[in-house]
Amino acid sequence: MSDRHDHPDHDPEPDHGPGQTAVTPGSGPVGSPQPAATPAAPAAVEDAGSQALAEALRSSFAIVKIIMGILVIVFVGSGVFTVPSQKKAIILRFGKPVGVGDEQLLGPGLHWSFPSPIDEVVYIPIGEIQTVTSTVGWYGTTPEAEAAGSEPEPGMSLNPATEGYTLSADGNIFHARATLRYRISQPLQYELNFVNASNMVQSALDNALLKASAHSTVDQALLDAAGFQEKVLVRVRELVDQLGLGISVEQGEVRTIPPRQVKLAFQNVLTAELERRKAVNDAQAYSNRVFSTSLGESNSVVNAGQTARTRLLEEVAAEARYFADQLPHYRANPKLFLTRLQTETLHRVLTNTQDKIFLPARSDGKPRELRLQLSREPQKPAAPPMPSP
Amino acid sequence: MKRNPLTLMIGALLVLIFVLLLFTFQVRQTEVAVVTTFEDPSRYITNSGLKWKWPRPIQKVYKFDKRIQNFEEDKFEEVLTKDKLNLLVRVYVGWTISDPKVFFNSFPRGTVAEAEPALEGLIRSSKNAVVGQHPFSHFISTDENQLKFVEIESEMLKAVQPTALSKYGISIQFLGIKKLGLPESVTQKVFDRMQAERQREVERLKAQGEAEAMNIRSAADRERNGILAKAEAAATAIRGQADAEAAKSFAVFRDDPDLAVFLLKLSALEQTLKERSTLILDERTPPFDLLNQPVINSKPGSTSK
Repeated sequence: MSDRHDHPDHDPEPDHGPGQTAVTPGSGPVGSPQPAATPAAPAAVEDAGSQALAEALRSSFAIVKIIMGILVIVFVGSGVFTVPSQKKAIILRFGKPVGVGDEQLLGPGLHWSFPSPIDEVVYIPIGEIQTVTSTVGWYGTTPEAEAAGSEPEPGMSLNPATEGYTLSADGNIFHARATLRYRISQPLQYELNFVNASNMVQSALDNALLKASAHSTVDQALLDAAGFQEKVLVRVRELVDQLGLGISVEQGEVRTIPPRQVKLAFQNVLTAELERRKAVNDAQAYSNRVFSTSLGESNSVVNAGQTARTRLLEEVAAEARYFADQLPHYRANPKLFLTRLQTETLHRVLTNTQDKIFLPARSDGKPRELRLQLSREPQKPAAPPMPSP
Repeated sequence: MKRNPLTLMIGALLVLIFVLLLFTFQVRQTEVAVVTTFEDPSRYITNSGLKWKWPRPIQKVYKFDKRIQNFEEDKFEEVLTKDKLNLLVRVYVGWTISDPKVFFNSFPRGTVAEAEPALEGLIRSSKNAVVGQHPFSHFISTDENQLKFVEIESEMLKAVQPTALSKYGISIQFLGIKKLGLPESVTQKVFDRMQAERQREVERLKAQGEAEAMNIRSAADRERNGILAKAEAAATAIRGQADAEAAKSFAVFRDDPDLAVFLLKLSALEQTLKERSTLILDERTPPFDLLNQPVINSKPGSTSK
């Protein structure tokens, strides 16, 4: 292109040169402008045409040059690329990673590589948390149905083609679903060793779930969900290390439920367990109540004893005092004292007594017969006396 | 012609690029390549970089991904265990192309889709063979020593590895069981058994609850009786002590026992006849003897109630 460009640039000048020299001698000494002018006119026309052509070529070539320049800039500039903050990049130069070890990894920011056939940029998402879910142990349902809260009606048995489940060590069936969140910790391994590393993580998770189930009884898996989850995660980590997947497990979540076909039976067990606890709690409450009341009763028994003691002692002391007081009077005149005391007492007794019946002795000195009819109801203390014949 | 050197350079560069494009090819680190000369595989390249070749009609290049591929069985089929029980097993493998020559001969287009059916057949036959050597209890057992999960997996891997390598140039990196199941008809029996087990558990819990509650209650009653017995004992001791102390006070009665007895009798009489009593008296009872005649010798006769 540049060769061609040179020619039109150069050619007009030699053409111009001879044309001028031919005219100058002719016009001077010969003095015949007529013949000289006639050949000069077509030459000038031709000259103007080629000049215009040259002009056009020159300007179009300038445009081509600019386009070329832009193309070169674009070509070089196409090597510039940015790495987003959540990613890292590797440059493959003729298929080989550039750099050694961790230098291969380009962090976020602006970078430059050779343009396309030479270098190839491979991006690896590193900061993002990736999620895989294992549903090999979950019953057949769709995410839409689950979001709507409705689930397909369980059949009498489980069709292995559509329904997933796992088997526990004691030969029971239960459903388990695991979700694993992980981060890519060694991007080179993750990207360069595996076609689809996340599928691999998924398989490892399935396998771990299966093994954890095989090592748990159904009670362990369903009641000790945290323990089961730990079992699964331990196995996943083992597998990940073993396979060299280059990920670090951030978090895992495992959910286990009994098969829907026997859900009721499992609920019954839970209810029975609650009832058992309630029975024990009730008994405990009874025990506490009995203990505290028996303490109260015990106190009152002891107190009654104390009271009886006090009363007895008081009474005895009072009697003794009374005796001691009366003794001198008695000694002074025993007969009179006794009679007085007896009479006083009788007086009080007879005053308090409700019914008093006096029976004079028979004049013939024979004993009188007296019959008493005692009623069962002790309202009437005594029947009227029947006079003896 | 002043810009000729630059022109030449650019021209040379263009020619160079053209030649390079025709005569070279790249192999990525994640790839292996096979070069064919007139459709005859002549060169196998397993290391990455820029490689030479003759232009297109003479030599062709086929590239394969050599990273680990994930493959899992599509079908979930029944396999017979050693003790003639049916089990459904699905496995997954990670495989790579380790011998491009054999691989290329087996699968001319070198696609994964082409290799997978062959791989599946291999895996299935070795899976069936290995499962057939193990009883059911090696898969499902409460006895940790019986469980042979890991062993079974590694046996399958060992069974499939040599054939895959020699036949297809594929190296199986690892193999694991992905899913385990029972035939559909068996699941129903399992449910029946589970139901029965749960029912037993319910009964056990009930019995246990009753027993525990009864134990607690009877223990409480026992404790209560113990406490009360102690209290009674203490009260009796207090009373006995009181009697003993009272006996000391009685000492004063020894000064005149007759008077003491008389006083006690009087007080007893008064106490007994306090309420709702009926007295039947004759004239010999003092002071009612006064109602007859002044005689001093009388006997009291009384009834209560």
